[in-house]
Amino acid sequence: MFDQVEAFCRPASVPEALRLLQRGKGQARIVAGGTDVVIAGGGSIRVLIDITRAGLNYIRRRPAGLAIGSTTTLSELEDSDVVRKAAGGILVRAAAACGSVANRNLATVGGNLANGSPAADMATPLLVLDAQTVVAGRFGRRRLPLAEYLAGATENRWGKSILVELIVPAPPGGKRCGWSFQKLGRTAADISIVNVAAGLQIDAKSRVKWARLALGAAAPTAIRVPSCEQRMVGRILDAGLIAEVAEEVSRAAQPVSDVRASADYRRQMSLVLAARALKECAAQAGVAI
Amino acid sequence: MNTRTVVGQNLRKVDGNKLVTGGAAFTDDIHIPGMLYGKILPSPYAHARIRRIDTTKARALQGVHAVLTYRDVPRVPHTTAGQAWPEPSPYDTYLLDSKVRFVGDRVAAVAAETRAIAERAIKLIEVDYEVLPAVLDIEQAMAPGAPVIHDEPDSTRIFDRERNIAGYILREIGSVDKGFREADCIIEREFRTHRQQHAMLEPHVTICWIDPDGRLVIRSSTQVPYHCRRQVAMILQLPVSRVHVIKPRIGGGFGGKQEMLLEDICGALTLAARRPVKIEYTREEEFYMARSRHPQVLRMKIGAKRDGTIVASQLTVLATTGAYGSHSTTVQGNTGSKVLPLYRTGNMRFECHVVYTNAPVAGAFRGYGCPQGFFAQETLVDEIAAELGIDPLEFHRRNVIRLGDIDRLSAQLGEGKEGLPRVIRSCGLPECMERAAKAIGWSQKRAVSRNGHSARPRGVGMACTMQGSGIAGVDWASAFLKMNEDGSFYLQVGASDVGAGADTVLSQIAAQTLGVTLDKIVITSGDTDITPFDVGAYASSTTIISGGAVKKAAEKVRAQVLQLAAKLLDVAVENLDCGNNEIFSLTEPRRSVAISDLAMHAMYKEKVQIMDGASHFNTDSPPPFCATFAEVEVDTETGQVDVLHLATAVDPGTAINPMQAEGQVEGAVTQGLGYALTEELVLDSEGRPVNPNFLDYKIFSAKDMPKLTTILVQTDEPLGPFGAKSISEVPINGPAPAIANAIFHAVGVRIRKLPIRPEEVLRELRSADAQQAEEVLAR
Amino acid sequence: MKTMELRLTVNGNPQVWDIAPGDLLLDVLRREGYFGVKRGCETGECGACTVLVDGKAINSCLMFAAQAEGREVVTIEGIAQDGRLDPLQEAFLDHGAVQCGFCTGGMIVGAKALLDRHPHPTEDQVREALSGHLCRCTGYKKPVEAVLAAAGRKEAAR
Repeated sequence: MFDQVEAFCRPASVPEALRLLQRGKGQARIVAGGTDVVIAGGGSIRVLIDITRAGLNYIRRRPAGLAIGSTTTLSELEDSDVVRKAAGGILVRAAAACGSVANRNLATVGGNLANGSPAADMATPLLVLDAQTVVAGRFGRRRLPLAEYLAGATENRWGKSILVELIVPAPPGGKRCGWSFQKLGRTAADISIVNVAAGLQIDAKSRVKWARLALGAAAPTAIRVPSCEQRMVGRILDAGLIAEVAEEVSRAAQPVSDVRASADYRRQMSLVLAARALKECAAQAGVAI
Repeated sequence: MNTRTVVGQNLRKVDGNKLVTGGAAFTDDIHIPGMLYGKILPSPYAHARIRRIDTTKARALQGVHAVLTYRDVPRVPHTTAGQAWPEPSPYDTYLLDSKVRFVGDRVAAVAAETRAIAERAIKLIEVDYEVLPAVLDIEQAMAPGAPVIHDEPDSTRIFDRERNIAGYILREIGSVDKGFREADCIIEREFRTHRQQHAMLEPHVTICWIDPDGRLVIRSSTQVPYHCRRQVAMILQLPVSRVHVIKPRIGGGFGGKQEMLLEDICGALTLAARRPVKIEYTREEEFYMARSRHPQVLRMKIGAKRDGTIVASQLTVLATTGAYGSHSTTVQGNTGSKVLPLYRTGNMRFECHVVYTNAPVAGAFRGYGCPQGFFAQETLVDEIAAELGIDPLEFHRRNVIRLGDIDRLSAQLGEGKEGLPRVIRSCGLPECMERAAKAIGWSQKRAVSRNGHSARPRGVGMACTMQGSGIAGVDWASAFLKMNEDGSFYLQVGASDVGAGADTVLSQIAAQTLGVTLDKIVITSGDTDITPFDVGAYASSTTIISGGAVKKAAEKVRAQVLQLAAKLLDVAVENLDCGNNEIFSLTEPRRSVAISDLAMHAMYKEKVQIMDGASHFNTDSPPPFCATFAEVEVDTETGQVDVLHLATAVDPGTAINPMQAEGQVEGAVTQGLGYALTEELVLDSEGRPVNPNFLDYKIFSAKDMPKLTTILVQTDEPLGPFGAKSISEVPINGPAPAIANAIFHAVGVRIRKLPIRPEEVLRELRSADAQQAEEVLAR
Repeated sequence: MKTMELRLTVNGNPQVWDIAPGDLLLDVLRREGYFGVKRGCETGECGACTVLVDGKAINSCLMFAAQAEGREVVTIEGIAQDGRLDPLQEAFLDHGAVQCGFCTGGMIVGAKALLDRHPHPTEDQVREALSGHLCRCTGYKKPVEAVLAAAGRKEAAR
């Protein structure tokens, strides 16, 4: 119940939104799609700051890569040609796995990350794509690697700032690349039990040139597994390597037990999904496993 | 007219238009000036005494108009179960009590001007609890030293309160000991089933007000308006005639609304505040403060001869009813009486203990004890068939009950008292089996051994099930019809359309009998001031019992119509018939009168209101039969089970509206799929619900569905109107065992615990692999 | 209690309503008499509260009413035009896709949004669109058939 709310503001700019946030002294809350804020309940919130009209809804090509405004909805990501074409479309696959059509028409990519859920489906492929976050606060604007932003979100470090943009650098391209997003849930539309995103680039001899692997819902935040990525570079992409890497992914997991799955099962499924993700990447890159 | 122009036709639902246009049809779709919001303060503990309760601060909050604790209301022991009087459930519940027995139990209630104020008010109620040890484990509840949940002296009909046994059943026909001695093969296994929640889309909601005559009006989403009226009158100490219950459109019930759940507390708040009050459960409250399916531990033993003939079957059940005994013996009674007699052995034994635990209360839920029992029986039968090397389909053919058989176990297990033996007067089960088997591709798919040949092996499995149609000698209904001057009829029935289409089906029965088109019937249902009595929508009784009353009433009215037509047309009554809105002579068809003309004549010339009513009950409960076949694909790396195809063939007698009947099958099997695979209300070690929302309690969505094949095998049941039996419950019983059996066919693993979780399948697969590996090494 | 003014269009009609700043769109719509918009879960899971906002299906239980400022909202009450049922509504009735009807309003609104964008959807697309509409009565089979049939009907009407 949001019966204590005294003001609903719709700032037209980020600086204005930040001013309202400062003045709110801890009783102001930023809202975009509402899919997390509304469910969390009103408690003592006195001011709601709707940032969906603050100019943060865009998908632009920049020299540094793709710039995605934080209030871009998951549906808008799904509909964007340029996002669909990037990295085998794994961002769109992840977006499509988040709730229903109606949820995605409201839910924003920024909200998905800011909520600090270990199972945030957008985080995993964004980690694989080396995404950076742009955070606006009293200090001005700062760029943070996504992993740092996610860690801060789980610790509620960003209460006085606003996530305004994601920058997704251009990933490796060409036909020797492969991308995958895998998710396991109890039903088709479920919070992830485990999810995995992967990207690979191989050379003409099937040796791995570039590798990214991220695991979601199996640790306090989605995590990249750099030890696996390093293990792969320079090696021939074959069933043996995939099995080795998948095994290592499951060791990197720090899963918990909840109503969806036990920690043990999550650990086992990290291995299974990692293997499937890598096999899919291999197939796209032209290597039959 | 013998041709079925209305009954048996796929006509549009009579209430369909308002449902597709968002018409204000449901309980909450109304603005009542001055209405207050009621809210219940739930217990945070699974078992506690209220040592002190102080409502001063809550009462002082601006906008609060009533606060009730156990001190403010009468103490009247009762059951909340919506059953015919005298209800065969313990009288162990109180409007408000000084003891709480599960997390979510009522502590107090408030009525306030807004929902927000009500929510704040309950937080201001100060309660000192003496926390008591709680028992959540079924087996421990009966053990010596377990905390006694119902130690209050004024509760009655509890079998053994010291041992927390709400009810006990023991029945035997023939001699199972003798039967087992004759068996060539005996298998005994234990099965476990879990807590499933109805999750109907419309939560429980009740609005009460006092009308200008000072009567208490209850507008509620209920399957049982008449039982509600009786129970609320008793609890609030009002005469029945001073209580008026109105049932609007209901957004699903499935047994969860076969309960007097909110009407008493809402009525009490209304009387205290002297203003209208609404209580509407949130989805979270719905999960653990409403009702759910009884969890059971089932031990089943079946003996068969080498040729597959079952010679003895024995089922021992330990069930929990949660903290209160609503439907406790009757649900479990069904687990025996509707399940074992599917097979023709003369030696059956059923024993059951139903215990209290400090858990959310179990109650009626579609299938009513049968899903649990059939999961055990049909899985065990599949195992015996495999052991004997007999195809399961053939095993069923040899053993299932047949036309003309008499089911004597039912006689022993009526609703709380000696029932009546069941005679099978219609049985389409053989055809159900053949057609569903064909739809799934049984013979081709069973012939291929699929174990372990691929990463995603497939398998097929089957189950046969039955149910009842109304409770013999207990369920009864009545109907009233009166004619209007345009030849239309107002049909008044106490029956409760929960969304399954009762209003439409009953209108079709009336129209067919009266010889008019469906649009000539205007139906009012479930209003205790206007409609005559009906026990309500449960036990698959509406089509057969309420429909039976409608048919009787319509026949009486038809007789009056023909009498008048005979006079008008100067034709003997025996030579008249009616159909298509007219009455005509059989010998000279051009001698006819339109029903609208006859109506005007009756009203203004004869000065007679053509009207009549009838009551009806049956002394038997003819079973609908169902054959369920499932094809699954098992992902051996994740343990996930994907159901590819579910073929369900049902014998419902005659389907009054086949399209609606199919819809009932499809909805029932979907709940059965959830029961089998994804749904479970989980409690933590303190008895608190862990997943009381749709995010964490997963029901099937449109993307999760397998291919569904629905087959209606129509038979002609002498006890039902136009040959009808029932259809709404039986299909829910088949999916769990059919899927478990299909999994066994696919990967050789038997799961005997519901829901079938991927982790369990994976664990079983890995231990089966490990066992195989060991055997290989040992050689 | 603080109030603010909300200006929006509902089913083609401009409205000016007094709302509390923290009001949710679902609560405001029902308060203003749009009873066809249902309260099923209040967490955006069941879809019974679905309305169109500027043509997009959204869960009105998750949107603050103030966020609908200046927008065009369509509820189930606005689907039939001039008293004539939409082909979707006709199809739902003809195919037995309506049982208790509680999820029906949201489902039809969601399906309308689908057909407005994809006049010839595949069965998979229909199931995707309907996956946010939980139904406990139908098993989804007849609703899916009804949406596909309505798509065909629209084609025939053209």
